[in-house]
Amino acid sequence: MVEELYNKIGGDYAKAISRMQNDERIVKYLRFFLMDESYSQLENAMAANDCEGAFRGAHTLKGVSQNMSFEVLGHIVEQITEELRAKEFEKALTTFPQVKEEYKKVVDEINKIIG
Amino acid sequence: MEEKKTLLIADDVMINRELLKDIFEDSYKILEASNGEEAIELLDEHRDEISLLFLDLVMPKKDGLEVMHHMSLNNMISTIPVIMITGEATVESDVRAYELGAADIIYKPFEPAVVIRRAKNIIELYEHRISIEHELEIRTQELIESKRKIEQSNIFLTNALSSVVEFRSQESGEHIQRVKNLTRIMLRHWRALFGENQFTDEQIELIVNASALHDVGKIAIPDSILLKPGRLTEEEYEEMKKHTVYGCQMLEHFKQEENEFYQYCYDICRYHHERYDGRGYPDKLTGDNIPVWAQVVSIVDVYDALVNKRVYKASFTIEETYRMIHRGECGTFSPKLLECFDDAKEEFTEATQI
Repeated sequence: MVEELYNKIGGDYAKAISRMQNDERIVKYLRFFLMDESYSQLENAMAANDCEGAFRGAHTLKGVSQNMSFEVLGHIVEQITEELRAKEFEKALTTFPQVKEEYKKVVDEINKIIG
Repeated sequence: MEEKKTLLIADDVMINRELLKDIFEDSYKILEASNGEEAIELLDEHRDEISLLFLDLVMPKKDGLEVMHHMSLNNMISTIPVIMITGEATVESDVRAYELGAADIIYKPFEPAVVIRRAKNIIELYEHRISIEHELEIRTQELIESKRKIEQSNIFLTNALSSVVEFRSQESGEHIQRVKNLTRIMLRHWRALFGENQFTDEQIELIVNASALHDVGKIAIPDSILLKPGRLTEEEYEEMKKHTVYGCQMLEHFKQEENEFYQYCYDICRYHHERYDGRGYPDKLTGDNIPVWAQVVSIVDVYDALVNKRVYKASFTIEETYRMIHRGECGTFSPKLLECFDDAKEEFTEATQI
């Protein structure tokens, strides 16, 4: 079930298992992931043209996604993080919809198995 | 059994803390901080228990850099190893972390096996270092203490020995203390005038101690001469002059090769009546063949004799004494020594009036 989730969202299940030991643990972290506020921080800051705040949100989300081995999400968040770090807010604005799409996908899939 | 060691995990993201916690909580006690301020509070409260700090750089309230700054200010950086957690590996951020005193850096995402190994290594390394430093500190303290004791016994013995002579000469015993005091003043001025590196503080104190023994040879002078109230005859005076040589002969029984203190004692005993123009005794040394420490004790001895009353004479004022010494009425001294003597006048005046 968890492995399936990883396959659907472009995550690396093997890495996740090596880091978190077993599915039970992974599920615990999936719940934490839903509770994590860095995405909303990023989204709100993007809406408010707050480059600095958006960078912080993106930076955290990147670390979290990488730790969860959500490879696809992690990759696109890394991109927006670097754009925001370089203060290229216009570029980040065009990247953000992809972030949003990937994040939603991940959240939806997690919700499916956690219920 | 050994108590569990304590780790502090400071990261604002719960998932990151949980990951580390999962890795370590079986073998370590875990403290958690979700921002820099909490981390600082926990560090202050548990500084003696924390064996390792995992520190995220980017955190709300105070960030990782501020936490490290706090640790530096409070001397924690050398005892609590910090493993910096960072999302990206750039050379600049790595260098910066190490400059701030981080022991190591780990990159997200964590690899548990690697993180465990590094944490263990670093904790062991720091514990080892701290125990060595502690050991060293204890040894150093012991050394300092025993050195202090030796110095004190040294001072005590030189004072005791020199007071034997004074006691026999029926002098008050203050002359020795004054000579020591004035010798110290002169040497400090000498150092200030003629270069910082001439005498170390330690050397100055050795010479000061040695100066107490300048007249130790007088113990070998017969009472009839030593205690004679009137003027000495030519013959008696020749005998009296031998106290310089007698002093050295006594010291030679305990000769210590290459010992600085012995050398100062010997030189001061033997040469404190030599004159810069070569008309002194016992060896008629000239100029700077006379060791500086002997020259210093020589001028100090003369000065003290002039400003104080002796059995055979009244005392002179400081002004008169300075004038007499400059005119060469009481021996000749090197220009450098006289310059030093003038430089020290204020302190000599103070020391003399007490």
